[in-house]
Amino acid sequence: MSKILGIDLGTTNSAMAIVEVGQPRILENKEGMRTTPSVVAVGKNGERYVGVTAKRQAVTNPANTIYSMKRLIGRRFSDAEVQKDKKMLPYELRAGSHDDIEIKMGDKWLKPAEVSAMVLQKLKADAEDRLGEKITDAIITVPAYFDDSQRKATKDAGEIAGLNVKRVINEPTAAALAYGYGKPRRQGVGGPTEASAKKDEKIVVYDFGGGTFDVSVLEIGDDTIEVRGTGGDTHLGGDDIDQRIIEYFIEEYKKEHGVDISKDQLAVQRLKDAAEKAKHELSSTIQTEVSIPFISADASGAKHFSLVFTRAKLEELVKDLVDKSVQLTKKTLDESGFKIGDINEVIMVGGQTRMPLIVEEVKKLFGKDPHKDINPDEVVALGAAVQGGIMQGEIRDVLLLDVTPLSLGIETLGQVFTKMIDKNTTVPVSKSQIFSTAADNQPSVEIHVLQGERAMAHDNKTLGRFILDGIPPAPRGIPQVEVSFDIDANGILNVKAKDKATGKEQSVKIEGSSGLTEDEKKRMMADAEKHATEDAKKKELIETRNLGEALIYTSEKMVKENDAKIKEEDKKELNEKIEALRNTLKSESGEEIKKVTEELSKVAQRIGGELYKQQPAPSGAEGTPPPQEPKAEEQKTEEPKKNS
Amino acid sequence: MDEPQKQSIEETPTEATTEQEQRPSEERGSTEASRPNVEEYLNNWKRERADFLNYKKEEARRIEEFVKYANEDLVLEMIELVDDLEIVAKEVPDVGLEHVVKRFSDLFKKYGVERIKVDGQFNPALHEAVDTEQGGSKMVEVRAGYIMQDKVIRPARVKIVK
Repeated sequence: MSKILGIDLGTTNSAMAIVEVGQPRILENKEGMRTTPSVVAVGKNGERYVGVTAKRQAVTNPANTIYSMKRLIGRRFSDAEVQKDKKMLPYELRAGSHDDIEIKMGDKWLKPAEVSAMVLQKLKADAEDRLGEKITDAIITVPAYFDDSQRKATKDAGEIAGLNVKRVINEPTAAALAYGYGKPRRQGVGGPTEASAKKDEKIVVYDFGGGTFDVSVLEIGDDTIEVRGTGGDTHLGGDDIDQRIIEYFIEEYKKEHGVDISKDQLAVQRLKDAAEKAKHELSSTIQTEVSIPFISADASGAKHFSLVFTRAKLEELVKDLVDKSVQLTKKTLDESGFKIGDINEVIMVGGQTRMPLIVEEVKKLFGKDPHKDINPDEVVALGAAVQGGIMQGEIRDVLLLDVTPLSLGIETLGQVFTKMIDKNTTVPVSKSQIFSTAADNQPSVEIHVLQGERAMAHDNKTLGRFILDGIPPAPRGIPQVEVSFDIDANGILNVKAKDKATGKEQSVKIEGSSGLTEDEKKRMMADAEKHATEDAKKKELIETRNLGEALIYTSEKMVKENDAKIKEEDKKELNEKIEALRNTLKSESGEEIKKVTEELSKVAQRIGGELYKQQPAPSGAEGTPPPQEPKAEEQKTEEPKKNS
Repeated sequence: MDEPQKQSIEETPTEATTEQEQRPSEERGSTEASRPNVEEYLNNWKRERADFLNYKKEEARRIEEFVKYANEDLVLEMIELVDDLEIVAKEVPDVGLEHVVKRFSDLFKKYGVERIKVDGQFNPALHEAVDTEQGGSKMVEVRAGYIMQDKVIRPARVKIVK
């Protein structure tokens, strides 16, 4: 059964995705890019260009380079929108016999669907190339406000391209699907794990793309997603923001150098590149330096453009555009009959939604964080693929796999929480690790099973405890206790501890290990995030102490076993360093402990080296090895059993 | 035509599912019915296993491609610096900057990054036109383009002149 290709056929750019092993993923085109410009051209010699090659030759051939077909597809020539757009397009349009639109490309007159089909054809061919298999079926997305004629024309475009268009779905619906809304509910012991919305939930999809702004209000039904309202501005997008930045740069340059470079095409092109780059950088930094050497020249010599561009300035330049999008959102909400408080979730679509100001304004408006984890340029194509996957049964409730919502592990030396199974691991799953003892001749180990995300054991939830005893006497760190965590398909956790020397084992079965409520899970994860830095510091301090203790142990052992061979002054020095470290271990300063540990280590290594030199010619097992830095696994030692 | 405002997510069942649903319910209780279920479970398991193995192969291929182009972002950033160096070298000759530019060029070659030639015919697979003179056919480089391994990571920006 061939895959169903999910296609986001955009005004400026298109993208495609498929579902693989139940997960949607974007397919790169032949040029290795994840999006394809929705541009088609015919050259002087009749050669056809589609995608990025069409875009690159646009300046040399504007009359035969066709873009923004989405503004024309399925519309009538006499439509007010078409007449408005016609003024801005460099290629020729005319009315066909039924007031439909015809576009001049080369010496042919084509329907918008035929031109769009060329983009779809390229996507199909590139997908087949990537996957090594034929693609026949597709899901294509359209704006929610598209009427029947526009939807039919889009479907026709797919069919002209050789695709069997299984369905034409709304872009906001696709975005919601990509985030897991509206999918068949997963049945697992832990309950729904992805963001599958409850019935009657209301979702707003805020789509701020390159050339258009669309906002939609969706309502989730049993197995439907209903569009309750749409709005936006077909001529408001990221391109307008870029234009504002370029105008600002030109203005600043004029102020500084008295030169207007707006007519210098090549200079403007360099400013455009710099503007786009600065805009991207300001999504993650507060300011950026824009530097363009030798941008122009006059009688006095070469001139350079240099400016510190701040996020605050960028926001000032475009505030009115963002405010406009917010007003349009409010209007659409009103018209859909809902209030702000009715909205349960907000989804961000379109590259421009990466801008912090936009995220902030949307959050302010709805009083909640919008969903923006999925690449906003790709989310619609991914959602289209999800719809295809659902139709094919790749995403269904026949074989449901859950994930463990929080990490599982045990308590180890120093009351540290050592993870055995990370959160969001798909179950069933088994993980094992070898641990050892913390003290010489320790006869048993206590396995304290915990769940949570905090670094310290006592901050997490106890699921169970048990003791494995009968460990033969041995120096600390020598016994090997294998601890295994196994979660079965029913979500039941089995924890087992086995002494590898004796084969003795003990175990505990914990049912409903994710028997936490959603609120509890969220609280625990939020706590972990809030305390992440201090938890990391605590854990580091404990690990530093553990290393120090291990070094004291090995150093004392070295002295005990080689008493006669070590010089008195060396023994004295070593004991002094051991004592100093023992005292410093009580300190709360990790740096201090590390420093004193290093001092002991130097002395111990020197003495150990001298012991080696005293050995006869190498014979294998003779002699005591110099004390090593405690190995990583030695950190993971069990607390000594408290009651023997 | 798909109803625009309300769209159902669940689709018409596939053949396999339809067969399953058509099986009469009274069969499900019998011992005979458990065998088809076992068949189905085994097939689903095989399919899942096959999907996983295919995914592993695909993942290996993706990693190979990732490694091939792992430095692409870094190279693109460096190329911008080289752009500026070349401009300065051209505007202020005789300060030895051309040697620095040459060293970058050698470094790029070492990592499979080659400069795109700007000669012959305009080729949108390699070149991006930013300006054109009426009747022009000759290319003048405005900004260098580069190919990394076999991928055009930045097309050469050109002006078409007479």
